[in-house]
Amino acid sequence: MESWTQRIFLTLSGGSLLALLSLPALAADDNKPLIEPDVRPQHVDEALIDTENFELGAFAGVLNIEDFGSSFVWGGRLGYNLSESFFMEANIGFAEGGETSFETLAGNVQLLSDDDREYTYYNVNFGYRVLPGEAFIGESYAFNTNFYLVAGAGSTDFAGDNRFTWNVGMGYQILLTDSLALNFSAREHMYQIDVLGEDKTAFNTELSTGLSVFF
Amino acid sequence: MRSKTSTLCCTRFLWLLMPLLALGAGTASADGWWWDDEPQPQVQVAEPFIEWHTGPASAYPVIRVSEKGEWLTLLMRKTQWFKVQDDHGREGWVHIDDLLLTLDGQGKQVALSRPRFDDFSSRNWEAGLMMGQFEGGTVTSLYGGYGMTENLSVELSGSQVLGSASEILMINGNLVHQPFPYWRVSPFFTLGGGQIYIKPKATLSQPGDRTNWTAHAGLGLRVYLADRYFLRAEFKDYKIFTNRETDEEATEWKVGLSVFF
Repeated sequence: MESWTQRIFLTLSGGSLLALLSLPALAADDNKPLIEPDVRPQHVDEALIDTENFELGAFAGVLNIEDFGSSFVWGGRLGYNLSESFFMEANIGFAEGGETSFETLAGNVQLLSDDDREYTYYNVNFGYRVLPGEAFIGESYAFNTNFYLVAGAGSTDFAGDNRFTWNVGMGYQILLTDSLALNFSAREHMYQIDVLGEDKTAFNTELSTGLSVFF
Repeated sequence: MRSKTSTLCCTRFLWLLMPLLALGAGTASADGWWWDDEPQPQVQVAEPFIEWHTGPASAYPVIRVSEKGEWLTLLMRKTQWFKVQDDHGREGWVHIDDLLLTLDGQGKQVALSRPRFDDFSSRNWEAGLMMGQFEGGTVTSLYGGYGMTENLSVELSGSQVLGSASEILMINGNLVHQPFPYWRVSPFFTLGGGQIYIKPKATLSQPGDRTNWTAHAGLGLRVYLADRYFLRAEFKDYKIFTNRETDEEATEWKVGLSVFF
């Protein structure tokens, strides 16, 4: 008997719930045409299309500073894609010079103060993407990739002075998504320096890897 | 990332990573940065077919074609390429030249901005990067300009000169007059002034840093290249007002690439 009363109550409450739910649905149905036309936006509003020509990223790696050993380097990168092949980029990087072999051997000699060992550079480069391609991981994933060449100039603040610095390099970019890229790059930085007596061109090699976001 | 099968979860994961890159997630508004609030524009193919590439460059292979009458949703733009999606949810990249031949919902040809020479002469803003020589040192200079009229614009620039004896920083404001703004190769004259900061090299024992006012006059050329880019070359003669008995003079030439907006 108890289960009967339960059933009655359940049926009643369930029915009223259904009725409540279907009421607004019925009301809405009245306004809608029987067949919904395939509505397309009238205008093509370009502002609604996300334009992703800029790239902002961070990198870290190893920088070999001529005469001052190899050290950790990190920095930021802003890129602007001029066309499908050409781009411009600005980089800023930070590292710290180690000891020259002379300082290590002589023991108690300091060629540079700690402040002067701080190595900061910026540069602005032109880049050209060559060999656009795809990389495949397993059966399921394909990533767009490209190999690029860069060359440009900037300044290096090291050993007490800002030095005009050329740089050339190359890199490999893997687009993880259309908006996120993984970069591997190798660069050569060149400047004139006379800290160790003679005036010479220093060649500093940088190997780094980084992530960048398109926006 | 494109995938041959479903990669939804992987893509989601990468999207989750993105805020870590601190790109102002909070400021991303309704313009479709994280999700699409507004319906994306759609176009209808009007040519017999248009080609889809796997990536935003002509070197990427063609993977698919859309036939006349098909609708494509425009998702994203990278330089001259648009990422499109068809009614089956498939995605690929189409060049702007092909999209300009498609139709909108009213059956009209789609208008997408493609900067041309005409825009060059009617631009408002421009910015550029130039390099050259300033009294024997290498100068790198960034500038931005605003066109007040067709002929007259104001500019602000910052320069760094790295020479063998000193480092120089300069900031300049100047007026630029273009007598023939509608020429592809358009000459200009400029007048301006600013400040110069001179710092001798650490290895040379010279008197210390100094800051002086400067004035300059110059002439140059703007050469329209393509799209929104032009070359700019200029020569300037500077007068540096020192607090010594005689003022100094310096000459500078620079060449660079500029973009207009």
